[in-house]
Amino acid sequence: MTPEILLSLLAATVQAGTPILYATLGEILTEKGGVINLGVEGMMLVGALAAFLTALYTQSPVLAFAVGGLAGAAMAALHGVVCLWFLGSQIVSGLALTIFGTGLADFFGTAYNGIQAPGFNKFSLTVLSDLPVLGPIFFRQDALVYVSYVLPVSLWLFLRYTRWGLAIRTVGESPAAARAAGLRVQFWRWAALLGGGVLIGMGGAYLSLAYTHLWTNGLTAGRGWIAVSLVIFAFWRPGRAMLGAYLFGGVMAFQLRLQAMGTVLPSSILLMLPYTLTIIALSMSSWRGNQSKAPAALGRPLEPCE
Amino acid sequence: MSGPTSSALPVVSLRKITKIFGQVRANSAINLDIYPGRIKALLGENGAGKSTLMSILAGHYLPDSGEILIHGQARAFGSTKDAIKAGIGMVYQHFMLVDAMTVAENVFLGQEPSFFLSRRKLEERVSELATTYGLDLNPRAQVGDLSMGERQRVEIIKLLQRQSQVLIFDEPTAVLTPPEAEQLFVALRTMAAQGKAIVYISHKLGEVMALADEVAILRKGQIIDEIAVQDVHSQADLAQRMVGREVLLQVERTPLEPRQNVLRMQGVCSGMLRDATLRVRKGEIVAVVGVAGNGQKELVETICGLRTPDQGDISILGKTWKEFFHNPPWQGGLSYVPEDRMGLATCSHMDLVDNFLLTTRQGYCAGIWLRREQARAKAQELIELFHVDPPDVRCLARELSGGNLQKMVLAREFHRCPRLIVAEQPTQGLDVSAIEDVWATLLAAREEAGIVLVTGDLSEALALADRIVVMFAGRIVAAFAADDQEQVQRIGMMMAGMDTADAPTDPALLPA
Repeated sequence: MTPEILLSLLAATVQAGTPILYATLGEILTEKGGVINLGVEGMMLVGALAAFLTALYTQSPVLAFAVGGLAGAAMAALHGVVCLWFLGSQIVSGLALTIFGTGLADFFGTAYNGIQAPGFNKFSLTVLSDLPVLGPIFFRQDALVYVSYVLPVSLWLFLRYTRWGLAIRTVGESPAAARAAGLRVQFWRWAALLGGGVLIGMGGAYLSLAYTHLWTNGLTAGRGWIAVSLVIFAFWRPGRAMLGAYLFGGVMAFQLRLQAMGTVLPSSILLMLPYTLTIIALSMSSWRGNQSKAPAALGRPLEPCE
Repeated sequence: MSGPTSSALPVVSLRKITKIFGQVRANSAINLDIYPGRIKALLGENGAGKSTLMSILAGHYLPDSGEILIHGQARAFGSTKDAIKAGIGMVYQHFMLVDAMTVAENVFLGQEPSFFLSRRKLEERVSELATTYGLDLNPRAQVGDLSMGERQRVEIIKLLQRQSQVLIFDEPTAVLTPPEAEQLFVALRTMAAQGKAIVYISHKLGEVMALADEVAILRKGQIIDEIAVQDVHSQADLAQRMVGREVLLQVERTPLEPRQNVLRMQGVCSGMLRDATLRVRKGEIVAVVGVAGNGQKELVETICGLRTPDQGDISILGKTWKEFFHNPPWQGGLSYVPEDRMGLATCSHMDLVDNFLLTTRQGYCAGIWLRREQARAKAQELIELFHVDPPDVRCLARELSGGNLQKMVLAREFHRCPRLIVAEQPTQGLDVSAIEDVWATLLAAREEAGIVLVTGDLSEALALADRIVVMFAGRIVAAFAADDQEQVQRIGMMMAGMDTADAPTDPALLPA
């Protein structure tokens, strides 16, 4: 493999990893607040479609990206109504959200299958793009990728070094302690859920606005589920999430290249690769009880007290 | 009601506080004044309404009627945040801490000085408070790694950081080792000396006598007496006021002739348990004492079949460990009364019939069917016999107070006519009259069984046991008859791992 091919493969890795990164960070934020959201796949699809339609009709990719985030938040709000308001099961509600989101996106999106919309194009980021090796991989991408570089560290700083981050972590670890400290537990769970929803919706929006520039049904192709499992693989740490997202991006980009080059391997085997990796990564990271790194009150409904 | 002698005005006055939960009047028209610089003890049996009253003051519940005056002004607390703002803070029995966070983060939870948090500044502030009040604590430690005593200090520093003027402690020594309790008392006195008002909820008479300036005694939701501690004659006096009848904390115990072995352990190792050799005969109570975490848990779990021994021989009622637990008989076998009543002994969301069936189901089966009606009748009969309140099997386990739940567990276990009983902290958290009931039950059970009593309370061990074994660092370091005064005097040293006679005596570890 020539260096040029390797560099372009790595650049494609970053691009393929970016939507997963957005969604994983969104799910980390949600889960840090104590809510499991298995609706990521459906939320990403709805976000992708909302962004695509906005871009198509307004010609404004930036607005479209924002609308994608809002669509994610709207979907998260549905989850919130079921789980935070009515204290329903987070697992069931999340699964329902995925089914609902997939159906919704298919229903409104089928008419637009294969239609193109304006989106984000790649541009070189000033002098950084001239760096050897790193330049071509990281700094000849689109604006949303550049945004995604600062997201993990921002989320980390936010969770660790701000008052709001502390509040969110507390309601995820111990709602009782949060309540005793005078924090509004419901409020912070909602905040984490909706904030996470915005990021997840943006992950979907990235797919239609920057990755493909067009709409096809089932655009996410399981990336939402990969994000859910990456949260566990990342031990709920934004930095590791970035690593994980690029690992999966790499496998996705690689199997596309392999298919394009024409190998003897059947394409279905290649298509399986990212999902197989998901299972392997999850088993390995859960190997020695790393589940205990989960927020202690994750998935537990709030006691209706006070 | 004799008022306090202090000329200062009360920080907090509760006026005619009434709180009703369903059918229960938890508090009825309670008046209470809390003064700065004084330690007020709230004494009462389980369910007397102490915790409810203080939860109202701490903003957890709104009273159904009555008012709270802070410095003479009426205030209503809609939430704990309001109470904290008004300078009232509570250290709960179950700590409200986040295990995955550091001490400093926990202290500043909900009280962060700025949007961006400087860890260094937070940690310095915590250290400062810790030194001022003599509370030894590392602000950078993860709360999950701390001992119970240290966690309690985090809770206290939380309140001090919030400038709380009234600090409420709900049974604070229940989770502490004797030296930690001593440290807490010193800190409480320091805080009172600096002008804080301390409210101390307890049913340990000795502590109240040693610590408090005045005592308010609650019974059935009402304050029935309020006196200065110097006017209390003795613990028995206080106990009598508390339960309204004379309580004998000394039980009658006639020694029985020990008969055949019901438990034999020879050189058993399991986890931290090292080379444990123990024999329990029918007709005797063997008390296992020691500072918590020195292998008692492993010992109990091994005897009760919850943990497989790595080494050594165990025989239970004449069978090997493996044989016995292959098919343990539901009657005439082993009964385990665990420390964790709500977690191990019962299921909180099941009613008393289902909880009764947890260990007795084999006796109420017909093929694959449960004979629930029969079980219900038996359970009803038993809870009446053991005076469980409310005497209604349809109650859920979590609706019972700690003492009543324990009585229910004992009723169930004794129905199984056990020959070997393992009772772990059977009276922890119980009030005086419940302790008396449990003690009498255990002594009576001794007629037909051998009993292993694991307890952190030396007076309990001395009151009940025929023999005492002391555990330290996973080993049984001493075993002797309970009436061997010379050995009894040295229990404290043995518990601390100092077995030589010339080692300094730690008075906190000796029986009172």
